Amino acid sequence: MATKEILAVPATAGTARVPQSGAFARNRELLAELVRRDVQARYRGSALGVLWTLLNPLLFMLVYTVVFSVLLQTRYPGGVPAAAYILTGLLVWNFYSQAVSFATSSILSNSGLVRKVAFPWVLLTISSVTAALVNYLISLVLLIPIYIVFHLPVALPLVLLPGLVLIPFVLALGVGLLLAAGNVFFRDIEHLVQVGLLIWLYLSPIVYPPNLVAEHDHGLGGHIFSLFFRFNPMTWVIRAMENVVTQGLWPVHWHGLLYSAFFAAAMLGLGVVVFQRARRRFAEEV
Amino acid sequence: MAPRAAVEVRTLRKRFRIYHQRNQTLKQTLVKRGRGAYEEFWAVRDISLSVEPGTTLGIIGANGSGKSTLLKCIAGILPPDQGSVRVRGRLSALLEIGSGFHPEYSGRENIFLNGALLGLPRRYIQQVYDDIVAFSELERFIDNPVKTYSSGQYMRLGFSVAVHLDPDVLLIDEVLAVGDQAFQQRCLDRIDQLKAQGRTIIFVSHGLGAVRDLCDTVLWMDGGAALALGPTERVVGEYVAFVNAHEAARLDQEMNSRPVLPGGRAGVGITDITFLGPGGRTALFDTGDPFELRIAYTAPGPLVGARFYVSIVREDGVVALTVPTDDEAMKDRVLPPSGVVALRIPALPLLEGLFRVTVGIAEIETNEWYTLLDRIYPFRVHSADRGERGVALLGQRWTLPAPERRTLTA
Repeated sequence: MATKEILAVPATAGTARVPQSGAFARNRELLAELVRRDVQARYRGSALGVLWTLLNPLLFMLVYTVVFSVLLQTRYPGGVPAAAYILTGLLVWNFYSQAVSFATSSILSNSGLVRKVAFPWVLLTISSVTAALVNYLISLVLLIPIYIVFHLPVALPLVLLPGLVLIPFVLALGVGLLLAAGNVFFRDIEHLVQVGLLIWLYLSPIVYPPNLVAEHDHGLGGHIFSLFFRFNPMTWVIRAMENVVTQGLWPVHWHGLLYSAFFAAAMLGLGVVVFQRARRRFAEEV
Repeated sequence: MAPRAAVEVRTLRKRFRIYHQRNQTLKQTLVKRGRGAYEEFWAVRDISLSVEPGTTLGIIGANGSGKSTLLKCIAGILPPDQGSVRVRGRLSALLEIGSGFHPEYSGRENIFLNGALLGLPRRYIQQVYDDIVAFSELERFIDNPVKTYSSGQYMRLGFSVAVHLDPDVLLIDEVLAVGDQAFQQRCLDRIDQLKAQGRTIIFVSHGLGAVRDLCDTVLWMDGGAALALGPTERVVGEYVAFVNAHEAARLDQEMNSRPVLPGGRAGVGITDITFLGPGGRTALFDTGDPFELRIAYTAPGPLVGARFYVSIVREDGVVALTVPTDDEAMKDRVLPPSGVVALRIPALPLLEGLFRVTVGIAEIETNEWYTLLDRIYPFRVHSADRGERGVALLGQRWTLPAPERRTLTA
């Protein structure tokens, strides 16, 4: 055994013991660090940085507004201006679709960590969804000029906003956990998700008003679309969002919202179960 | 009562699947029904061990013997298929250079991320941050993204983080090899210091010197199973003996399955090369052994004005010796059409290493090769480790002042 003299190492190095903290506190610190990383990584190396979070929905809003309002002469519920209606829905949708697509690749794109470091890998997926939420909160700034320009009502129902955001958060987490685990074994899921999200966007009343679906609910195609539309949990989230944000009303379709909340919770349960089962083979497969 | 083990592994088994052709897309899976044929093999078979707090365990063995897999199971990255692993206390693992580093992140940010991954509060990392940077000597680079780091710098940062983040159990997987000599020494000293503080260390290495210096017990793995587990000197000794025997067999095979030596220019060629040691033909020598290299040649008629040439090259390319025959003596010397030329070294001064010989015959007059066999046959030199490093002994001797009579200085 070595009896070497210890070289001059900083006297305090390694001598201080870390205060013991519970698993919850430790995981919270780690989650905060991962979210910080995910948010920062997105803006690193792009000249406009955080501006993209604002510019991207703004540009899409312009495109959709021109197409639907100017060309197709679409009218939105409560006489809300097209730009306000579309932007409100688009921001929520951007949050949801970003959360799902980042969550899907969260395990595979961190293969370096998963292969080498033992920690609750589920935090990677939670972090992706949380980072998307942070982006969403930043992008809400865009609503301020919309409120001013279109004189939208600032009313009490706005207090529901955090609760309404919780539903797509839980839903995205559930779907994300499911897809993240699947993506480790079948790498084309990542690509399918992009297509799936685009279809899902058009199954939600984001760029068009919900009454349009009821008006066209005839013929087989109309029925099928209407069915998907009504069972789509995001439909009710968006409708409630529009009520609260653009019209200053309490959500009109409580039953739909309740259904969405249950759907999201069930999805989360399913996601957690599948993820926990698949987790054992992550380190070998990534 | 015996202290509770810091790491306890019970009849651990880990199985891997080797896919012949892996289906990683949905289409392939659907079309072929299943994710492809695979074979299973046990990467770790029935390993049991128990590491007392404050002791160091070394794991040695050939590549692919399951050392890293075992370490990953202990780290909790790979779930065991059978058996159990129990670790008491905080575990810090240095499994690969820059594991857990994000390439786009600066060194500073990675220190904090790594700390969080080990479950440490940010406040604590802030306290030891300066020590980590000082130990790694990366002050000037700490704000650059780690993707710009060299592998040595990666390893410095990784090691500094791992040893400063207050681990109770530290796993190190053959990463020290990357650092320069001075840093390696500091790492080893630091590991000593952690040992003194009662931390438990598990150390995978091919560097038997470091294993001898640091480890209290050693596990020798082969084919996923434990071949020996016990005190360092005994297990390392057995391992070295095994490796030498194994290598002797391999070298022997290489010597015996000799390729057909290519014929040379003008019909002058080498037909055989043999090494002779103290006990006859061999490819294994100890430093100080008599050494003889025999070159059997053939020529269409009597061979006049030939220069024989031998070069001894270590595996890493260092030339230990290049020696031709004496042209003056050979110029008019007539050699029989076939015969044996020998190069003799009475006491081989070479130090530990794998060497190969280059052998050639040239025409003195034109300075052209008849034949040249480049680094063709290997032989191995083993030296008792008395701390000498380098290619060869130089007949050196230490001289000390005359011993002083012990006197009391009042």
